[in-house]
Amino acid sequence: MFADIVSNLSLGLSIAASPEGILFLLIGAFVGMIVGLFPGFGPAAGIAVLIPLTFGLEPTIAIIMLAGIYYGSMYGGTITSILINTPGESATVASTLDGYPLAQKGRAGPALVMQAVASFFGGTIGVILITALAPSLASLAASFGPSEYFLIIAVGLLMLTTMMGDNKFKGFISALIGFAVGTVGVDVMSGQQRFTFGSPELIGGVYFVAVAIGLFGVGELLHCILNGQHREPAKKLRISFRDKEFWPSKQDYYESRYTFWRGSIIGFIAGVLPGSGATLGSIIGYSVEKKIAKDPEKFGKGEMRGLVAPETANNAASAGAMVPLLSLGIPGSGATAVLLGAFMMWGLQPGPLLIVNDPGFVWGLIASMYLGNMILILLSIFAIPLFVKFLDVPYVNVVPVIVLLCVIGAFAINASIVETWILVISGLIGFAMKTYGYSPAATVLALVLGSMAEETFLQSYIISDGTMSLFWERPVSLVLSIVLLTIIAVPLTVATLQRYRSNRMFSSDDKA
Amino acid sequence: MIKRAIFGTMAAVAALSFSATPGIAEEYPAERLTYTIAFGPGGGNDRMSRTLVDILKQYELYPGNIVVENREGGSGAVGFSYVKRQAGNPYSATSTSGNFIGTPLVADTDWTYADFTPIALLASDAMFLVVRTDSDFKSLDKVVAAANEGRITIAGSGSAGPERVTASLFAQAAGIKYEYVPIGSGGELVTALTSGSVDAVVANPSEVAGQIEAGTFTALAFSDTERSTNHPEIPTFRELGYDFNFSLPRGVVLPPDLDPAVQDWWIAALKKAVDTPEWQDYLVTNGMSGNPIWGAEFGVYLKETSTKYETVLKDIGAID
Repeated sequence: MFADIVSNLSLGLSIAASPEGILFLLIGAFVGMIVGLFPGFGPAAGIAVLIPLTFGLEPTIAIIMLAGIYYGSMYGGTITSILINTPGESATVASTLDGYPLAQKGRAGPALVMQAVASFFGGTIGVILITALAPSLASLAASFGPSEYFLIIAVGLLMLTTMMGDNKFKGFISALIGFAVGTVGVDVMSGQQRFTFGSPELIGGVYFVAVAIGLFGVGELLHCILNGQHREPAKKLRISFRDKEFWPSKQDYYESRYTFWRGSIIGFIAGVLPGSGATLGSIIGYSVEKKIAKDPEKFGKGEMRGLVAPETANNAASAGAMVPLLSLGIPGSGATAVLLGAFMMWGLQPGPLLIVNDPGFVWGLIASMYLGNMILILLSIFAIPLFVKFLDVPYVNVVPVIVLLCVIGAFAINASIVETWILVISGLIGFAMKTYGYSPAATVLALVLGSMAEETFLQSYIISDGTMSLFWERPVSLVLSIVLLTIIAVPLTVATLQRYRSNRMFSSDDKA
Repeated sequence: MIKRAIFGTMAAVAALSFSATPGIAEEYPAERLTYTIAFGPGGGNDRMSRTLVDILKQYELYPGNIVVENREGGSGAVGFSYVKRQAGNPYSATSTSGNFIGTPLVADTDWTYADFTPIALLASDAMFLVVRTDSDFKSLDKVVAAANEGRITIAGSGSAGPERVTASLFAQAAGIKYEYVPIGSGGELVTALTSGSVDAVVANPSEVAGQIEAGTFTALAFSDTERSTNHPEIPTFRELGYDFNFSLPRGVVLPPDLDPAVQDWWIAALKKAVDTPEWQDYLVTNGMSGNPIWGAEFGVYLKETSTKYETVLKDIGAID
């Protein structure tokens, strides 16, 4: 098996490491970073725009470039999460929780370097796992039906509670707002419309990107203006590679040394499962890290581990999503669906036989991902001083630029004014949420996961004829059900035991 | 060689329309064409539109520049509404697919198929009924027998899409009851079957061709009137004794209120386009059969498909 891996990889490298391969990989990685930087203009759109450029190319070279855009956008996407608290996609929502506070504490440089390092680590671990495990993991992805999806999404939803901040009640309200917004659109069972008020734009539901940009980006701006931040003079940050403050400290690396591994592995597994892999991966990665930390109170206030966990996870997930795409022909996200469309344009038939019929194509792509991650970490680190310079600009000048970026991003989704209105309304709601301590992250993630949970639950319900037996009759579902119940039961039991114990202590004190 | 032949016919076409309506023939097409795609990039409609536009450019069938725009949203409602509002503008075109018929039936749109100027049905996109190769369903009759004995589940994309219409027409023709499971996207549809969650799926050939080729899935029947050119071994429902057919119009329409000469110009141009090797490749890769229908006949075809669709949606209670 080891010999197989070596021969496959060297076949791949012989294609990917050609001058042509490296040139187009550079283009793809660069475009990916840029695409990631603009909120709303995601990898799916970036890939689609560049597909026409690939027609004259060898399919392997073309896919190397397009895949570079796909995972490159994961590097760029976090930059806005850290600098302006605006996640460009659902997979980087979790990165705002500690990324933005780090920037506010004046540690934007280390945060950006760390996210690049974490992205590189997660991405590379992801590719190593693909190389070694793709065939065996493909069968895992193939064994996931509606009931398994529902259970894994339910695990993700439970994990949301760790991201809600201190006030759980307000956190739940925030999540419920997300669920409510998620009900807009066509009811998946009957085909009837819910809450669309006759607007054809709303038939497909409220697209979360406009909501995310509004709640985070615009909400944050309004909140800063409320605090009078626009009157403050700009902080002059000296930024240079030679400065010690530019790089993450030894302590940062030391404290997150296990986080890198945990985030990568959790993210990769989530990515292999088609669906909302990178988003679920980043949520679970963050929650696990906070749960097992001895000092969970530091999270959400600018903790490096809180940035490393979701960043390793979402990059490992974007690598993981290549497993079902290449070995089964199953796209797991919007961007991989566009890649799949490109396969067909080049005359390749995605499916289980792709790796057998076109090994050069598949292994060329996998090998290019090793090189791509190296290019991306260098590109990011060289570009960081540029991005940090952004913080030097007085806030009063930054505001119009961010507003413009947000409006363009929202409008670009469908070239329609409806998303722009959604942005404005979510901006006002985001402002209120920020001011009164609600959790925009819970709202956005509940919006993304809520409608998926509803659909997969109803599918399971129909399949099992209303008995829900599917959740324990299928082996993988049974395992997931047990995990789910454990997650619910353990904290409850611990809490009850503690109450019982403290009661007893209290009563024995009383007697004495 | 090919180029010269096309150039020749182009000239002939131009001359022909010149004699019919001198005013427009001299000028049309004189401006940039905007080709609207009412769906997102990478999807079926997008692939067809971009292939077609590339052919128009490559063979210089359209003399001017062509801009392609994705206006997705509301299952095509947004993009088709945009094109409809271009009434009288001969420099706007779009591609039809299932939602062109389906969306106006389920949603309150400001357009229906009848509003547009029909140019051509270029390909019909029919459905496979697919089962796992290792399942007990070795033939369509086995599926029918199982449904009569107990309960079968058939999944398809969307709650009121063409997959459901096909499943429903099949159940009607076979006189069986079945449970329809609406599943989101193409990927989840494939795993619903690989994971053994459902008994069968109705799917677009391109979504399952890879699995069929690998031997994981077996297609039991095809919903077109004739066998697919890509999978000639798979019989049609009709041949197997289930009397129905259903396919989606993949074609080109223009905005309403156009000069008939514009319609004729487009019919002539697209007749050239479907003869190119690129178009034939497209049909093969995407598993479609190409039996083109032109102009007013395409309008009739759209009407028939819409009626069929509407009847099924009423039967299943998706619309009143």
